[in-house]
Order: sequence, then C-alpha cells, then structure tokens
Amino acid sequence: MRLRLWGVAFVLPALLFFAFFKYGPMGWAFWLSFTSYDMLSPPRFVGIDNFASLAADPVFVQSLQNTLGYIVASTLLITLAALLLALAVSTPVPGARACMSAIFLTNVMPIIAVCLVWRFLLHPHGLVNQLLAPFGAGRIDWLTSDTTAMPAIVMVTVWRFAPYFMVVFVAALAAIPAEYYEAAAIDGARGLRRFRSITLPLILPQLFFVVVVAALLSARLFLMPYIITGGGPGGATRVLSMLIYETGFSYLKMGRAAAISVVLFAIVLALTLAQMKLFMRDEEA
Amino acid sequence: MKRRLPGLRWLGLPPLAGLTLLVLLPVLWMLSTSFQASEKMFQLAMDWIPRSWHPENYPNALHRAPFPLFFFNSIVVSLVVMAGNVVFCTLAGYGLAKFRFPGDRFALLAILSTLMLPLEVTLVPTFLIVHSLGWLNTYQGIFAPLLVDAFGIFLMRQFVLGVPTDYLEAARIDGAGEVRILWRIVLPQCKPALAVLALFAYRDSWDQFLWPLAVVSRDEYRTYPLGLVRFAEDYGNPQTEQMAVAVMATVPVFVLFLLLQRLLKRGFGLTGLKG
Amino acid sequence: MTTRRDFLRRTSAGAAALGVLGAPALGAAQGAPTRVPMKLTYWTWENPQQRPWQKKRIDQYTQLHPNISVEFQYFAFSDLGKKVSVGYATGTAPDGFTTGDWLMPTWLTRKLIAPLDVQQLGYGSLDAFRNDHAPAFVAGAVHEGKAYGYPLWFYGVPLHVNTKQFREVGLDPVKDEPKTWEQLGEVAKRLTIKDGSKFTRQGFKWAMHASQWTAFQFNPILLQCGGQWFDKHGKCTINNEAGVRAMTIRASIARKYGAEDPADSLATAPVPWMDWLKERCAMFSSPPIGPLAVKPINPQMEAEGYYKAYVMPGVTEDKRYSTCYGFNCVVNANASKEKQEVLHHMYRFMMSDLRDCWIATAPLTLARKSGWTELPEVKSTPNIEAFLRAKDTGVFLPRTPVWSELADALHRAVQKVMLSSGDIKQVLNEAAAEVDRATAELKKG
Repeated sequence: MRLRLWGVAFVLPALLFFAFFKYGPMGWAFWLSFTSYDMLSPPRFVGIDNFASLAADPVFVQSLQNTLGYIVASTLLITLAALLLALAVSTPVPGARACMSAIFLTNVMPIIAVCLVWRFLLHPHGLVNQLLAPFGAGRIDWLTSDTTAMPAIVMVTVWRFAPYFMVVFVAALAAIPAEYYEAAAIDGARGLRRFRSITLPLILPQLFFVVVVAALLSARLFLMPYIITGGGPGGATRVLSMLIYETGFSYLKMGRAAAISVVLFAIVLALTLAQMKLFMRDEEA
Repeated sequence: MKRRLPGLRWLGLPPLAGLTLLVLLPVLWMLSTSFQASEKMFQLAMDWIPRSWHPENYPNALHRAPFPLFFFNSIVVSLVVMAGNVVFCTLAGYGLAKFRFPGDRFALLAILSTLMLPLEVTLVPTFLIVHSLGWLNTYQGIFAPLLVDAFGIFLMRQFVLGVPTDYLEAARIDGAGEVRILWRIVLPQCKPALAVLALFAYRDSWDQFLWPLAVVSRDEYRTYPLGLVRFAEDYGNPQTEQMAVAVMATVPVFVLFLLLQRLLKRGFGLTGLKG
Repeated sequence: MTTRRDFLRRTSAGAAALGVLGAPALGAAQGAPTRVPMKLTYWTWENPQQRPWQKKRIDQYTQLHPNISVEFQYFAFSDLGKKVSVGYATGTAPDGFTTGDWLMPTWLTRKLIAPLDVQQLGYGSLDAFRNDHAPAFVAGAVHEGKAYGYPLWFYGVPLHVNTKQFREVGLDPVKDEPKTWEQLGEVAKRLTIKDGSKFTRQGFKWAMHASQWTAFQFNPILLQCGGQWFDKHGKCTINNEAGVRAMTIRASIARKYGAEDPADSLATAPVPWMDWLKERCAMFSSPPIGPLAVKPINPQMEAEGYYKAYVMPGVTEDKRYSTCYGFNCVVNANASKEKQEVLHHMYRFMMSDLRDCWIATAPLTLARKSGWTELPEVKSTPNIEAFLRAKDTGVFLPRTPVWSELADALHRAVQKVMLSSGDIKQVLNEAAAEVDRATAELKKG
C-alpha cells in the first residue's frame, strides 16, 4: 500500500504538468474538431461536418494512405538500421566509438540544412545518381517522380533518425552485464544465436521504446516532406501532419485541421496500443 | 576474463569507417559548402575540397544577423529544458517502471497520448495559456511547455525496467527510504539512460521551431532556428553563409554528445553488487 | 511653435496641396499627429533590400517624433501571414503590418483591417487615390468605396533573357523578342542544348518550386485564353475549354518544343531564378531582377550586363500581359483611433521619399504612378521600360478568400501534368473540384 502511494507520488509531478500544459489544449483540440474556426473569428459548432467532408475528400484520403505507408516503412527501417548501427559501433574495434560520434552528427545537423542538402543530392543529376551510375541506374528523378518520391523521403527520414535511436541501443547494449556473455561463451553460444537468446531479450524494453517512438515521430514529422518536396509531386508525399499544418495555417481552417488531427491521433493510438500489447506481455507483473 | 560485447565481430574498422563516411556525405557537403565562395553554391559537379577557402563566411554570417544572441538564447532554453526533463522524467519513469498501482498502464498510455496530437492544433490554446501567464517574449514562455516530455518518461521507464527489482527489495528490507533507494541504487545503474535522456532533451529543444515562432516576436529572445529560417529567406545572404550558420548550430549539441557518450560505455551493469 | 508644415496640414487646403504635388519634397514631414507618447508595433517580411529600407524610414520617423516609438519586427516571408493570424486569434496582432495583396480578401472578409482615410495619406479624394496607383493594386485594396491598403511595391512579371546565349545561337535580342507563346516556344527550342537525356541548357523554364509562383505565372495565360478562375456563381472554372488551352500552352514548352525539363531545377524559395542565374536556362519569368540580385551568384553576368527583360508573351502580339502583384501597408481594425492616425502619418512619411526608396530597392517598382518615374536614377535603370509596362498592364491575382487552396490545387495540377504526364483535362477537373470543395467549406463557416 505504501509502495503504491510512492508510485503515484513519483508519477504525479509529470501528470500535473501535463494536466496544465497538455491535456487542456488537447481537449480543446478535440472540441475544435467539431467546429469551424479560422482563428480570426470565434469557433462555430458544426457537428461531424468536418469528418464527413474529410471522408469525401480525395486529397485527405491520399494523405491518409501516404501517412500509413510512411509510418510503417519508416518505423521498420529506422528500427532495423538503428539496431545494426548500434551493433556495429559496439564492436571492440578501435575507432568504433569515434564512428558512433560521427554518425550521430547526421541527427544534429539543423533540419533546414538537411533538407537543402538532400534536395541537392537527390537532384536528377546530383550526387546520388552519380554514385549509382556505375551500377546502371540511369537517371532517377527521385523527388519529382511519384514512384520514387516517397521512398526518397523515407530514406532521408531513416538517415536522419536511425542515429538518434542508435544511441538508445548503444546505451542498452552497454547496460548488459558482461557476466551474461561470459556464461554464454562457456556454453558455446555465439553470433546470431547469442544475439537471439541473450542480447535481444535484454534489450527488449528499448526495442519497444524505439518502435513506439519511431512510429510517433514519423506520424508527427512534416518538415522534411514539406521542405524537400512540398508534398509533391501531385501530393505523393503529402502526409497527414503536413495536411494539418496547411489546413490550419495556410487555409485558416483550424476546425478541419483539428478533425484531421483526431484521425491521426486515432491511428497512432491504435498503433501504440498494438505495440504495447505485443511488447508488454512479458513484463513483470 | 576478457569482456566481449555483442556485435557483428566480423566487421573490422575499414567497412565501418566506409559506412560512416557514406552516412556522413551530406554533413561533409554542408561543411565543405560553408567554406566556399557564394558563386560556387549548388554546382552539380561539386568541388569537395574548396578551390579557394572562405572562412570569412563564418564571421560574416554572424554579423548579418544577431546570431550570437540567438545561439545564447537557444543554449539557455535548452539547458533549462534538459534539467527539467532529467528531473521529472526520471521520477515519473521510475514510478511507472518499478511500482504497481491501479491505473499504471493507463497512466503510461495517457502520458504517451501527449505525443499523438501535433503541435499545430494545440498551438493556439497553449499559446493562450502562456500568454495569460504573461510569458510571451520571455525565456520561461519558450521553455515552460517543454519542461517535461513524454519521450523522456517513456525512455526512463524502459531503462529502469532493466534494474533488477531484487536490489530494491533488499534495500527496503534493510530499511532504506524510497528516495534513498532511487538516489543510491537505481540512478547509479542508469547512467547510460540518464546520458541519453539529457542528450535527447537538449537536442529536441535545440531544434524547436514552431513553438518559439509563436511565442517570440522580438529579437532579444529569438532562438537560432527562427534566426536561421529568416536568414535563409533573404537571398542577399549567400547560402554559403547559411551553411556556416548550420555548421555552428551543430556544435553545441555535438559537444554535449561527446561529453555524455563516455557514460555510454559498458561497465555500469551489476559490478560490485553481488553477494 | 507652429511650423509652416503643421499649419498646412491642419488646413484641408494644405492637405490637398500636398496631395496634388504628388511625392512631397525630400524629408518634408507633415507635422506631428499627436504629442502623446505612443508605442506601436509594426510587422513586415524579410527581404534583403525592402526590409532594411522600411526600418530606416521608420527610424527616421521616430527620430522626428520622439514621443512615438515603433517596435519593428520582421519574419520570414512565409511565416508573416501565420504570425499575424495567430496574433489575431490571441489578441496579440500588430497595430500595423504589411500584407501580400493576394491576402487582402482574407483580412477584408473578416473585417480585420481598418479603412484608410486617404486624406491623411495626402489625397484629396478616393478617385485621386485610385488614379495615382496601378490598377492591379486598386482592385485589391479598394472595397465598397473605401481604401484598405496603402501600397508599397507592386511589380509585373517580365520575361528575363540571357542575351549572351541568344547571340550564341544566332538570335537577336531585339528582333527576336518572343511576342506570342508560339514564338516563345520556338525561341526556347533554339536555345536548348541537350546531352543525351540531360539538358545542358533549357530554353525556357517555368517555376515549379512554390504554389504562389505557379499561380501568378498561370494567371495571365488563363485570362488571355478568355478563361476565368471562377464564374459568377463562385464555381471554379479552370477546367473549361479556356483553362485546358491555357494549361496546354504552359505544358507546351516541355511537351511540344522540348525546351524544358521540369524535373531538373535548382530553384529554391529565396532564389527562384537560380537556374537562370546559373545560366542553366536562357529565359525565365519572374518579378524584376536587378544587379543586386545577380551579382552574388553570377558576378560575370552583372559585370557584363548580358541580360534583358521583356513583357511576357501573349496569345496574340497585342494581348501581352503578366500578373501584377505586390504588398500593402494595412492597419489593424482593433487598433485605437489614435494609433490608427499615427500609422497613417507614418505610412505617408515612409513613402514620401521615393528617390531614396528607388536607390535602396531598385528595380522593384512601386504601385504609385506619380513622383518617381521621371527621376534620373529610375530612367537609367536597365530594363526599366519593360518593368514599368509589366506593372502598369499587369492583371491582378484572383480575389478570393480561398486563395491558398486555389494556389495549392493549381500547383498540384501542374505537377501532375508536368511531372507525371497527366491528362490535362482530367487533372484540371480534379483541381476545380478541390477548389469547389474549399469554397463550400468556407461558406459553412
């Protein structure tokens, strides 16, 4: 009983903070999705009009499809890349640490520089195509062809965020006590088997973290597609978060933007619940 | 006995270095461009090593706009956000990881839910809250809503889960108080996690754009992303100087990373607590 | 102490006299509107010449009237509208600000900007005000018999060509001036150089990087073809026969004449004319470009001066015009009467030295007709006749509160046509439907 109170006490400051700064505004946003609000005059109640009109709007539907694809692809690839990078830089190779620091630089570069540089590198006659030319790739219009634009954005997203999560995995790997590996070595386990039976279970909490957070991040992210392709070509890289920004701030239709956010919220909530179910089965009761 | 780390041990240094270089190409491009003459911007056939060096891009950029002030503001805000997150996220993460109370799963979900609505729709009410406190165009206006972030709470929870509960229970049996247990037993084992938390909190605050844009309309409180975007929109500012500012912006977080990454070394496991 | 200027201002005869003179003489202040200490906020957008000049003029104003202080803030161009909107939503909007002329309907329909007293701006009547300014500006700022904006710069969109490249392929920059769209295509074709699938040089490029640009480049073509953005019931009509013809013209440079590669561009938001400056394309359509913009990126072009501007081509030789758009100073309707008066005064002062304005911001033209075009500095500016003609004959952008949705829908349509080989009629149908949906949304709220 006493422990229960302590548990609540530890969590309370954060919850109070959120109650003040987050839940209020979130509630307001939910309410707003049932109104028409252009920021310049007071909100007007319209019921489920916003949702109905979204369902009938091809631009919204396209953005929804783009977003789902983007979240799934980014989450999987980021997690995989982060794990591989973390394993690579945790090897007892001289200079591995320096490589980790260097790789982390990609996450620290200001986003506007990232977008500028990648726009340039992915130019039809830019460096990426120049590097791929010996492999017979020919000219690829990365950012202006609707088949390659989204993969290009996913690629830049993975490039940007895998190092971020690599650090999480490195910390997780560092926390594994050496005794476990000594025991494994005595048992003759090595390589992939050791990874599967010792490493993976021990970093499962962080794996859960990375998967959930990568999904949340890719759901919210819009600066990269916004600056690199502007949502183009023809809306192929327009994701919901970008549509929300445009609808709210460019078109001044905040009520509608709130409705789109509610849809996004529902998607992310569902995803997170599924992930929680998957990963938290094994947690101590 | 020699400690061995998990890893793809067949990966020697050359492939690793090669991979690193490939990943870093855009960063190197940024670095190279920051030293080039402005006409050389965006040449598709690029000179990786500038034919003529223009280090004056850096002081020039600093003079065109009050970037030293902007960087200072960013540093102040980010340090406070870092401190706030380290304190509050650790407390909450610990509470969620090692304590069972009714509604604890729901609390986690409620905390994670704060990440599910984009800032654009919560901007206006958050702005009104900050405005009502009289905090527009102040440091506290910028950092207040960022002091506790759900990412940090979730991160700490996941790391603290890895601390064996036996130690906590042993300490309780010995009569240690909860705060003492947290301070003396849990935290020392979580140094890698704390390092990551501090780094991420600082870094996420460093790049914030939309929120400071809403709260600040005076140069004296502008943070560097606002300054950089405004700088970039001015075609009279050569883009080579933009890159110089971008390179400078990379430094503080990178320095923090270098300082903290020592804590990411192995050796913070169960040493010395046996028996 | 009453100065002669104070006295003149307070009599209506004096006010009319000052107005009739056009631009008042250098440094002629009109006397203080108030002796009470006052703080104003003024927001504008970032631009390397325009912003510092505005700041300078406002600083001069506050020096002349020490009881008035102005908090001058500027933001990235794309952020200014958002900051102002958030400001209105939260009661923190500035007292005075500058706005793009295409956003006037946004502020006007919600009565957020105050009507201006043209007498305080130096004009005897609304008609005098109307007649002294480019028609494109008037169409946007004068509403139901009142003026709501005081214009700063308004420009046409001339055609800029690289005369060195013209001569290289045997064209004469004067005789071979493209006057119709077909001529533009032919000239562009001759200027094009290809190396396999790569364009070493494109003949003519359309802007593909931002919806604003797509809209103001398409606007005149649509109107020249006899089309309209909306019919009298408010339905979007870009997908009718005229619209299809206009889009076909736009696509013709790439599709018919093979002179453009829409996917190959280095243009960015701050420098949309990058391809032209880097001599990757021979011709480009944009607001006036002068030496200050050319020099940082192509110092040789600036030094040797091998560039020229024409008025954009048309469907026939006599029907040539481009868009004319620009920026207005406006006054927040919620600002107090005293502040509004001071803002009138300040705006008028700002625009009272047009020679100084030209020296700082050339070749960006002003909406005002009188008081500057005869100045020697103006007349000696390269390409000034083309710039002035483009401005005075330019047509305004569609006046609609769904401007942003319209521009975005058009932008997507152009991308589908040019980058994904879309069918023009179908793509325009989709765009028109998008705009109609946006209009319907607006009518609900």
